[in-house]
Amino acid sequence: MKLKRRDFIPLAAIGVASGYASLRPEEEPEPLSDGPPGKSPVAILRAKSYSDDLAARMYAGIQECGLDARGKRVLLKPNLVEFDSATVINTDAMVVAAAYEVFQKLGAAKVVIGEGPGHRRDTLDLADDAKYRATVSRFEDNFVDLNRDDVSTVRNFSQEKEFYFANTILGADLIVSLAKMKTHHWAGVTLSMKNLFGLVPGSVYGWPKNKLHYIGIPESIVALNRLFRNTFAIVDGVVGMEGNGPIQGTPKPLGVLVMGRDLVAVDATCCRIMGVDPEKVEYLRMAADLGHVKPDHIDQRGENIASVHSDFRLAPDFAGLRLS
Amino acid sequence: MYLSARHDFLISTQNADGGWGYFPGKRSWMEPTAYAVLSLHGVAGAESHLSQARKLVHSWRQPDGSYHPSSQVQESTWVTALGVLLDSIDRDQRALQSTDWLVGLRGSESRLAVRLANFFHLTDIPLDLAHPGWPWFPGNSSWIEPTCHTLIALKKAASLHRSYRLLSRIQEGEIMILSRRCRDGGWNAGTPVALSYDLRSYPECTAFALLGLQGRSTGEFPQALQVAETMHRDTKSSLARAWLAIALRVYGRQPATPMEDLPSSRDILLTALQALGHPEGNHRLLHPGVPHPGGVA
Repeated sequence: MKLKRRDFIPLAAIGVASGYASLRPEEEPEPLSDGPPGKSPVAILRAKSYSDDLAARMYAGIQECGLDARGKRVLLKPNLVEFDSATVINTDAMVVAAAYEVFQKLGAAKVVIGEGPGHRRDTLDLADDAKYRATVSRFEDNFVDLNRDDVSTVRNFSQEKEFYFANTILGADLIVSLAKMKTHHWAGVTLSMKNLFGLVPGSVYGWPKNKLHYIGIPESIVALNRLFRNTFAIVDGVVGMEGNGPIQGTPKPLGVLVMGRDLVAVDATCCRIMGVDPEKVEYLRMAADLGHVKPDHIDQRGENIASVHSDFRLAPDFAGLRLS
Repeated sequence: MYLSARHDFLISTQNADGGWGYFPGKRSWMEPTAYAVLSLHGVAGAESHLSQARKLVHSWRQPDGSYHPSSQVQESTWVTALGVLLDSIDRDQRALQSTDWLVGLRGSESRLAVRLANFFHLTDIPLDLAHPGWPWFPGNSSWIEPTCHTLIALKKAASLHRSYRLLSRIQEGEIMILSRRCRDGGWNAGTPVALSYDLRSYPECTAFALLGLQGRSTGEFPQALQVAETMHRDTKSSLARAWLAIALRVYGRQPATPMEDLPSSRDILLTALQALGHPEGNHRLLHPGVPHPGGVA
């Protein structure tokens, strides 16, 4: 029996263990599902810097993907991780501000920004440090700390009979994952699907959200995306993060925004842009019935992958994910 | 003015059920309620507010002594520590059963199968798994913050009733905290190293660790108070600064006093903690107030 390092993620990620449930043998991967019928549009738009007209590009991308946000209660979910405005850990404030403007322009009934960081408890100050308050109009009136919102249960989340989520999330008609394009030392990459970890309330499950580690990181990513199907993704790849992400990596200027309604297809496209084989990324393999991983089932709009592709440096454990 | 403004804010944001939400107008939760109660403890005119709050807190108490974090959540969690803390301060004997529940709760990393896996090098966890702390949620692993909340509560409860089981469990938790210290001298959530990278400490976790280790010789965590003082000066997190002020004051340090006219936040937990950490605030309520059970076994 050969055990791979990532089989110990529940132990290592938390420094401790539930352990034995994850000690499974390495198996030959099953053939990848073709996913749902049809093709998924994914738009790749160039944005050389955060001072470009991001709202115009987002608007164009959303139109390309055929999203109708009229009358919807929209939750924008950025990726806020750490107090470190000098780096590229968090979704850039300009991307959040542009999305806020665009969804209002698209006729959304209400646009709220919400996040529940996994480690830091001071979400408002974290947002402030990431310049959200200074950049997004009426930020504080429209921001919800998802870690400390009121909660309700949903049934059958993963193997859990009942699981708690913030009421703001459960009341949203559309959740927009405003993710950052980063490598991740436990999951390989962190993109629009993993960004949904921030929907789990710390007030119930703690900081970090250790319950998700016990369910399993890929399993949790897929379970969250299976539960929340009313989603759209906008991935901030204007400047991504490579190496020892998602916190201690280094900036990777790429100059793109990637968006679409099928989060599996968006993440698969981001992987190809990053030089990662999405068919080797465990959570994407597990999510292949939810959306499209295979390139012939993704309708690429805007730029093509080859024109924006640039290999991201990977953590040594994930060198095997490199796209050949 | 700083302190009275915060007390006034807390009194004005109390919910009709007697508790406090994390933000005004939100439903009541144990955490902001407990810290609002501690902040208002002994404040003239707050008696009826406190008695209403205590009633609500006790309505979250379960027959086994554990506490739910709110009416919306049907599982008992780490907040049981806050229930024990409040009951111990009130010298309410109900703390004893809740203490038993906490003493019996431990991080799942202490399971035999996990420890065996680590012993036989099936894992490479560079942590002491033999001394478990406490989890946020039963069935999960130990983390610094819930462990420290629990230690504060158990040390307080030891003033009502001391037993070998209680004192040895306190020691286990303390050893867990000491073993999880980051190389930079502070603490993070509980993982000082990951994939052979040193991870940096967090200011709020450093404050929790110091609070949890009260009663031990500071020689066992050299430089930690200086690290905390630097963090208190430099952190961008208001919540972390509030926790650090409390921690430093219980160790007799004098962190910079906030500007008297600093406006209250709409964050109720933060407001309560800022009041607790004020020089004239109730930070002493988080001091164990009893002799320490002893050194590391």
